[in-house]
Amino acid sequence: MTLEERSSPILKAFEKAVAWARMNSVWAVHYNSGSCNGCDIELLTTITPRYDVERIGIKLAGSPRHADVLVCTGPVTGQGKDALLRTYEQMPAPKFVVAIGTCALSGGVFEGSYNTYDGIDGLVPVDVYIPGCPPRPEAIINGFAQLLEKVENYA
Amino acid sequence: MDVLRQLLIIAIFPGGIFMLLIGLVYAWINGKLIARLQNRVGPRWFQPFADMLKLITKEEIVPEGTNKLLFELLPIVALAGPMTAALYVPMAGLRPSSSFQGDLIVTIYLLSLMTLCTGFAGANTRDRFSTIGATRALTQLFSYEAPFLLALLGPAIVAGTWQISEIITTNQGLWLVVTQPISFVIAIIGLMGKLEMHPFDAPEAKTEIVAGALTEYSGRGLALFKVGHYVELVIGLTLVAALFLGGLANPLMFLLKTLGLLLGISFLEALMTRLRIDQTVGLWWRYGSVLALLQLVILVIWSTLVS
Repeated sequence: MTLEERSSPILKAFEKAVAWARMNSVWAVHYNSGSCNGCDIELLTTITPRYDVERIGIKLAGSPRHADVLVCTGPVTGQGKDALLRTYEQMPAPKFVVAIGTCALSGGVFEGSYNTYDGIDGLVPVDVYIPGCPPRPEAIINGFAQLLEKVENYA
Repeated sequence: MDVLRQLLIIAIFPGGIFMLLIGLVYAWINGKLIARLQNRVGPRWFQPFADMLKLITKEEIVPEGTNKLLFELLPIVALAGPMTAALYVPMAGLRPSSSFQGDLIVTIYLLSLMTLCTGFAGANTRDRFSTIGATRALTQLFSYEAPFLLALLGPAIVAGTWQISEIITTNQGLWLVVTQPISFVIAIIGLMGKLEMHPFDAPEAKTEIVAGALTEYSGRGLALFKVGHYVELVIGLTLVAALFLGGLANPLMFLLKTLGLLLGISFLEALMTRLRIDQTVGLWWRYGSVLALLQLVILVIWSTLVS
């Protein structure tokens, strides 16, 4: 008997409600792992009243303990690696990771450098990649939309 | 039958479920008002519900080096304090469901339980941000508590009793905000200090100390603390509206008066920026308490002259 068959209608309704709540309340913690600040400024622009993602429940949390999503920029320098891993490990499950900018995806112009790790997906599992140098706020919102889909289907 | 009635009072109205729902609704109204004042769209009406459901179902991490029992228990006490205070205030314009001589003092004590628990929760964890947040929360508690109490004593002195329901019946239809404007302003600003709202949010200053005393709380504990804040907001608004704005005769008056006060608070919150902790303490001890004492002296002299 699989888990699917065992779950009662009430349990299913509760799981649906939880998935709805998770999708409508995404708190992000922002970590800069050695980025040039271009992507960080675009991310902050996305949170300003002009683009205003807070109206769909996305907001920045100060503490990784409060966050659901780790929004990470930069190619992960040797110094930034430990802090990145620690931030990720401090977050409570269920947690997601969004990589913003070419550097966070592949290392960008720093690819193959002696003190960068060429993107964050070699260190933590990444859910959504947002390319661009830096990505426009529209692109970041598009990435968040993909993330919300993933959050809703999280079992 | 009596036991059943009391259970209903505690679990559904005015304690329990009713307080949770109205607290979340008022939290949304507060967020929406601030957003509109800042030219934003603001949260959707179900935003606090979604936030709380998500937080409750999230993993709760107990950090190393903390007392596990205290870590689990403090959020529960922090929510239980304001919930109990709901029994003594005229919630939704109805008579308080429980009442005895001196319940004004008990209510004020129950309202400060929340801040005390926040302080203890911060001091319980080893995290440096929590410790700084806890120190600031407790420092702030000692600065606004005395003026807030003195401000709420004004209506009690006019009515000559310490019982909330009797104060309201004695001052029925009497808008004490006209005769005691200083007490009213201090009570409102003291309420903002209690709730760590904007000019007084140094204890949880996001840009300096991550999230203050609650930095290490995730999931259930954070949700309980947040709901406790929302419940305390409603209780505080009810108390101030009942004491200073001529009592709460019916549910409609309750909604009008508390929402009017909430509009004022949101306006102040959107208007002002964070005070440093020493500025907060200075504001309360140099101006707040002196003005509150002045108002109290005037009231005492006036009531002796009249009688």
